[in-house]
Amino acid sequence: MVGFLQQVVEGLGAGAIYASLALALVLIYQFTGIVNFAQGELAMFSAYIAWQFTAAGLPFWPALVLTLAVSFAGGMLIERVVIRPVEGAPELTVVIVTVGLFIFVNAAAGWIWSFLIKDFPNPFPGGALEAGGLSVGYSTLGVMAVVAVVMGLLYLLFQRTKVGLGMRAVAANPTSARLVGIRVGWTLALGWGLAATVGAVSGVLVAPLLFLEPNMMGGVLIYAFAAATLGGFDSPGGAVVGGLVVGVAETLAGAYVDVIGSDLKVGVPLIIILCILLLRPQGLFGRAAVERA
Amino acid sequence: MSGRAEVTEKPVRADAPGRGRALARIAAGRRRWIVAAALLAVACSLPFQLVPFRVFQFTMVLVYAVALLGLNLLVGHAGQISLGHGAFFAVGAYGTAIMLDRWDVPHVLTLPAAAATAFALGLALGLPAMRLRGLYLALVTLAIAIFLVPLLKRFESVTGGSMGLTLGKPAPPAWTGLAEDQWLYFLALAVAVAAFLLARGLLHSRVGRALHAVRDNEAAAEVMGVRLSFYKTLAFAWSAMFAGAAGSVYTWVIGFVSPDSFAVTLSITLLAGIVVGGLGSFSGPLLGGLFVMFVPGISQDVNDAAPGVIFGLLIITVMYVAPTGLAGLAGRVARSTKKILRKE
Amino acid sequence: MSGDAFLAVEGLHAGYGDARVLHGVDLTVGRGEICAILGPNGAGKTTLLRALSGMIRVRGDVRLDGTGLARRSPDALARQGVAHVPEGRGTFMPLTVEENLRLGAFVRRGRGAVGADLDRVCAYFPVLRTRLKQVAGSLSGGEQQMLAIGRALMLRPRLLLLDEPSLGLAPLVTEELFRIVRAVNEEERTTVVVVEQNAHLALGVAQQAHVLESGRIVLSGSAERIRADEQVARSYLGYRV
Repeated sequence: MVGFLQQVVEGLGAGAIYASLALALVLIYQFTGIVNFAQGELAMFSAYIAWQFTAAGLPFWPALVLTLAVSFAGGMLIERVVIRPVEGAPELTVVIVTVGLFIFVNAAAGWIWSFLIKDFPNPFPGGALEAGGLSVGYSTLGVMAVVAVVMGLLYLLFQRTKVGLGMRAVAANPTSARLVGIRVGWTLALGWGLAATVGAVSGVLVAPLLFLEPNMMGGVLIYAFAAATLGGFDSPGGAVVGGLVVGVAETLAGAYVDVIGSDLKVGVPLIIILCILLLRPQGLFGRAAVERA
Repeated sequence: MSGRAEVTEKPVRADAPGRGRALARIAAGRRRWIVAAALLAVACSLPFQLVPFRVFQFTMVLVYAVALLGLNLLVGHAGQISLGHGAFFAVGAYGTAIMLDRWDVPHVLTLPAAAATAFALGLALGLPAMRLRGLYLALVTLAIAIFLVPLLKRFESVTGGSMGLTLGKPAPPAWTGLAEDQWLYFLALAVAVAAFLLARGLLHSRVGRALHAVRDNEAAAEVMGVRLSFYKTLAFAWSAMFAGAAGSVYTWVIGFVSPDSFAVTLSITLLAGIVVGGLGSFSGPLLGGLFVMFVPGISQDVNDAAPGVIFGLLIITVMYVAPTGLAGLAGRVARSTKKILRKE
Repeated sequence: MSGDAFLAVEGLHAGYGDARVLHGVDLTVGRGEICAILGPNGAGKTTLLRALSGMIRVRGDVRLDGTGLARRSPDALARQGVAHVPEGRGTFMPLTVEENLRLGAFVRRGRGAVGADLDRVCAYFPVLRTRLKQVAGSLSGGEQQMLAIGRALMLRPRLLLLDEPSLGLAPLVTEELFRIVRAVNEEERTTVVVVEQNAHLALGVAQQAHVLESGRIVLSGSAERIRADEQVARSYLGYRV
């Protein structure tokens, strides 16, 4: 039993990371109705920026704050420069553009920092918290705490500020939002900026666990897709719950299902996505209308 | 998002009315056949003009072109996105490799078997994914592409694991007097020509018209009675079949398969190839094949990451300025030069 | 026309893509007046309002109190005090009633003033006060129309554009709505342009009326005159008023 709970805790730790990337995906989907396939690569790029800051001698936490600021600006810039020209174009076009962005960002990181893996400093102390036979690593606790803080800040932004209200209005009804005087174009850019920031958190948290290299987020992206599909692409809360569920499911499947083992764990999100599409396409917390007219 | 205008590019052609138009169409049709025949003649003479390494490269262009034909069917004609086309390519390649390795199946038979396997797999995976929008298809196919490599490594006894499988290449029959590279080239050429003809036939059939209807307006197509999910699934399965056939020829040509040759990068490279080559056009797959084969080789001299940077930038640029890709661009240039010539 | 027109539209052309809908509309609305735009389906009434609030591209001249408004974006026009209650009401469905109302005042500054306006709007529409925390999507059609007008009033608009407020509503509800629009107009001197199928109701509250047909103004005059003119009613409106 303790062993099982131990696995669940580890799964929650992994799930917190998936949740933050899933949240980034959902943020953009809500505003634009598109899935940003480059989200994981942007997160990876942010992790490199953080690495660059620490390599320049900055302590981890100030480096993180700087990285988030750079990511926010970068996300906004990408929306203005790359996504703007295809806004309103058929979905196929926009998705292909985000795939192009995926390839470009991935290669650009390889060009700048090479494809060799880099050690990323772990901001959390080693060791673990022991309680009732369970041992929870401080780094797992740290990851969960950081993700919880980010979620809390986002919640406050959306529910308690005027900017957040404006963003929710744009997501709900862009035409009407424009009529009440909201600058919709800037709000979309803001959404990309926020998504890039939230994604950056996942990138910086993953890097110490996986080693930093340009392809590190490919797998994580699939887990985030599964999390967003599970929670519903239009539900930020759902993305978080979805991320945790996917993390736990993956860890348990890896530990207890012999066929899967540790190498085939990446099949778990695929199975989750397929099952959700067959059984409840809008996800657990999504609104029934999956089609956005 | 109802306030936004849908932007679709449609080629505008100024046709002469009535009899003139019919004559022009016949002339255009005849011209197209002449171009095709000339192209085929050039293709047949290539292996006698080039050194074996170049012949090999052009063989690979043909292999990619066959795979891209399938992707073009799906993305260009049915308007659905696959980020896992490489997975079906791998199914064809590994299917062929396993048939050769375990049961000594003759090379000729491995191709239809591999294609059929890919088709069946495409049908099975397309069923759940196609019930929803293309977005989910992109998710599912990407997940499949990522899942495939560890899967291939796991079943080591069949697939050879990380080491892969090494196989014999089809030997040229003595009567042809051809060298191995030339023979492989002609095999690939034969498969490519057959695939082009098959794709052409498909698109001119009822299925092709239904696919265009799905791409141009899903809702309207549904109202008109096109069974959306059926045709989308069918398009997915056909595209998988072409990829499977291409994979099979790949195994003949390379004589070796290993999981890392079929990583996600392959799928994404193929998508880049068809987007840059030209979505929805007939020459798109061939141009895309040339692009996929030669651009990485040339740009890799600059930097390992250069092909990716170029692919990424090109995909984005093409979607902005020329959604019909190289083929569309060539057509546009041809049309406007014709216009300029006519004016003078 | 008269030099003291609050809203002056001259030679307004507009449409969607290649489809031209308005072919040179001229009209003026006096300060503090209610102006009804009447006409058959497809005449271009909704398009006219969309042109006035910047939702579609236009050619021609639009002046509000002397300031040129043509070719500005909707959000810029909202900052100029133009509030548009669009066709279909434009409700932010997943948001609460209060959030919908506060969004109406998005471009205004000052929390206190916005809070006071919330009270002012709820005084016009008491039913909204009881529903403030409710999700807007759960309101009835009539309540949503009230919410839409209330949202527009939160802007303290200089010009209020109403698109078919009666659409899909029961006659009693519609009458109530028009009574409130009249009250707002009288108490706050808000200039109103209302597009309406129900000519009888619209002419009951309006001072001025214009009849639009195939993208052109074919008749303008005081509401009484147009109401009195049965010939006009038959030939342009297609029914008795």
